[in-house]
Amino acid sequence: MFAKFFQGAAMTAAMAIAGTLPAKATDLQFYFPVAVGGGAAETIESLTKEYMELNPGVNIDAVYAGSYQDTITKVITASRGGNAPQLSVALSVDMFTLIDEDLILPFDDFIKTEEDQAWLDSFYPAFMENSQTGGKTYGIPFQRSTPVLYWNKEAFAAAGLDPNTPPANWTEMVEMGKALTKRDANGNVLQWGVRIPTSGFPYWLFQGLTTQNDVILANSDGNQTNFDDPKVVEALEYLVSLSEEHGVMEPGIVEWGATPKAFFEGQTAMMWTTTGNLTNVRKNAPFDFGVAMLPANKRRGAPTGGGNFYLFKGTSDEQLSASVDFIKWITEPEQSAKWTMATGYVAPRPATWDTDTMKAYAKDFPPVLVARDQLEFAVAELSTYQNQRITRIFNDALAAAITGQKDPATALQEAQAQADAILKPYRVGQ
Amino acid sequence: MTSLDRWLSNAAAILLALLWVLPLIYAIWTAIHPAAYEARFVLTAPLSLENFVKAWDAAPFARYFLNTFILVTTILIGQFILCTLAAYAFARYRFPGRNILFTLVLLQLLVMPDILIVENYRMIRSLGLVDTISAIALPYIASGFGVFLIRQSFMTVPRELDDAARIEGAGALSILWRVYVPLAKPIYLAYGLVSVSHHWNNFLWPLIVTNSEETRPVTVGLSIFSTSDSGIEWSVINAATLMTSAPLLIAFLLFQRQFVQSFMRAGIK
Repeated sequence: MFAKFFQGAAMTAAMAIAGTLPAKATDLQFYFPVAVGGGAAETIESLTKEYMELNPGVNIDAVYAGSYQDTITKVITASRGGNAPQLSVALSVDMFTLIDEDLILPFDDFIKTEEDQAWLDSFYPAFMENSQTGGKTYGIPFQRSTPVLYWNKEAFAAAGLDPNTPPANWTEMVEMGKALTKRDANGNVLQWGVRIPTSGFPYWLFQGLTTQNDVILANSDGNQTNFDDPKVVEALEYLVSLSEEHGVMEPGIVEWGATPKAFFEGQTAMMWTTTGNLTNVRKNAPFDFGVAMLPANKRRGAPTGGGNFYLFKGTSDEQLSASVDFIKWITEPEQSAKWTMATGYVAPRPATWDTDTMKAYAKDFPPVLVARDQLEFAVAELSTYQNQRITRIFNDALAAAITGQKDPATALQEAQAQADAILKPYRVGQ
Repeated sequence: MTSLDRWLSNAAAILLALLWVLPLIYAIWTAIHPAAYEARFVLTAPLSLENFVKAWDAAPFARYFLNTFILVTTILIGQFILCTLAAYAFARYRFPGRNILFTLVLLQLLVMPDILIVENYRMIRSLGLVDTISAIALPYIASGFGVFLIRQSFMTVPRELDDAARIEGAGALSILWRVYVPLAKPIYLAYGLVSVSHHWNNFLWPLIVTNSEETRPVTVGLSIFSTSDSGIEWSVINAATLMTSAPLLIAFLLFQRQFVQSFMRAGIK
C-alpha cells in the first residue's frame, strides 16, 4: 500500500517535470460548473471531445468543478497557486471580483479580424451587459438564463379563469392569485396563487420586480448601488404585500429548491423560476402548463443570470488564442443549439435560433421561445465589486423585510449604507 | 431508581433516538420509492430500486469508491505512524524545546484547515502532485489532534511497565510497540473512526486539488446532484447519499460494540 503511494508520488513528480518541457500539442485546461440536472456535464464533455477531433493539435482537459460557488473557489485557489486554467465558466456576476483579483484577461486582446469583432457583437445585448465593463469584454455568454412565470392551466380553468391568459401585470397577478388561492373549511390553504422563491439568493427574482418598477440596482462600473431608491422600496413592499396584505403567497421565506415540486403537486398555481427548469417542468408536471414573461408594472423586465466564459492570466499567448478559438467554436449556432436543448439555458446568440435544429425544437415546444423574447426587456444581474459581500447584505435586507423583522424602507436604507461603505474605495479616480 | 424514573428515562431515550433516526428513515423511504411518493407516505407504495440505478449512473461511482477507500486508508496509516512516533517523543523524552514544539502542535488545532487551502495548494503544486490521491492526503497526515490524543494516553501508562521492559532488554521502539501501543488500542480505534469518517466526507479540498475521475472521491460524485438552478430530486439525492454513506453505516453497525466500548474507555465523546 505504502510503496504504491510513494511510487505514485514519484511518478507524478516525474511527469510534472516532463510537463514543464515545451509540448507539441497545445494543452488547455477548462473548468466548468454544473447548476442544472439533465446531463449537463456529459454534454460539455462530448462537445469538448468533438472539438478535439476536429482540431488534433489541441488537447482540452474539461474539469467538472462543482457548483458555481465551488468553481470560483477552485479557480481562484488554482490561480493563486500558480496553476490557473486557461479558461473557465463562472457566474457572470463574478466579473468584477475576478478583475479585482487580477486573474482574468479581456477578450479584446484576441480580437484581431473583423470576423472576430462580428462574433463578439453577435450576442444578445442583455447578456453582454454582465460581460463588459470599462469598454472591454471580459466574459462570453454561455450558460445563461432568465426567470419566467410558469402557470398551471388546469388550476386556472378550475378557478374560472381563462387557462390561456397569464397575468400581464402586477395588479392582475394579485387578482388572479386571489381567485386561485383555495382554502379548506378551517382556513388552511390548499393551493396558493403564486410562488416567488426567496431562499438563498432572493435578490435575483426580486430584481425582476425592481426592473419592472423601472429601476436599476447597480451601475455598470460596479461601484454604486441604488438599494434605497423609492422604486426599490416600492417593489419590496409589493413582494411583502403578496403574503401580508393579499394572502396569495405563502408567508415567510419561500424555498427555492422545493418550488418546482410544489408546482407539480398543485400547492401553487403559478411560480416564478429560472428557464433552467423548463426541461424539468416539461418532464414532471402532471397537468397542462404555460410559460410566460414575468408580469409588467411600469415596464416589462427581468434580470439575466448564469455563467460566462473567462480567460485566465498566467499562460502563453498560444494557449490563450487556442482557448478563444474553442470558445468561438462552442458558441457557434450548431453547438449552442445542442447545449440549449440539453439544459434549457437560453441560447445567447440570435443566430442559434435560426438554425433548423432550434426551429424544429421550438415548433415542437414553443415555451422555449418565451425566455428569448423576454431578453429584449432584460437587464444585467446585480453585480458589483466585492459582489459576494454586497449581495449578502442585500439578501439579508430582503429576508428581514420578508420575515417582518424590519419594514422595507428601513431594511433597504441600512443595506445601502453598508454597501456604500464597502464600495467607496472603488469610486476613487472617477 | 423507581420504576417511574426508569420508564421516563426510557421514554426520553426512545424519543431522542427517533428524532435522530428520522432523517435516515426519510432518506430510505424516498430512495426506495418512485419520486411521486416523496411526500406521500402510503404503506402500499410500490417499491423500486430505480433511484439507485439513476444515482449510480450519474457518476463513475465505482472508481470514486476505490479512490475514497485508498484515500482514507493512506491517511489513516500515515497518521498512525507519524502521530505514534511524535506522541511517544512528547510523552517520554526530555529534549530542548519540547514544550515549545508541543505548543506548536496544539496551535495547529486552532487553525481552520480552510484558511490554508491556497498555501497547501502552492506546496502541492511545487511538489508536482496536483491531481493525485497523495495530494488530497498529505496535508492531513501530520495531525495535531492525533499527536495530542495519543500523547495523553501514553502519559497514563505507568513508568514501571516501561522500566520493566527496559530491564528485559527491550529497545525504545520495541517498548513503544509492545507496551504503549497495545495499551492505547481503544484510543487508536476511536481516533481511527473520527479520522475515517472525517476524510470520507471531506469535499472542498479534494475538489480543488484534483481534476480527473481517477483521483476524485465519492463526495465529488455526490455533488453533481446539488443542482441549484433546477429543482431538487430528493429521491435520487437520497439514494446517492445512502449509497455513499452505506460503507460507513455498515461498518459502524458491525463494530458498534467495540466502538462504544472504546469511546467509554477513552473517555471522549
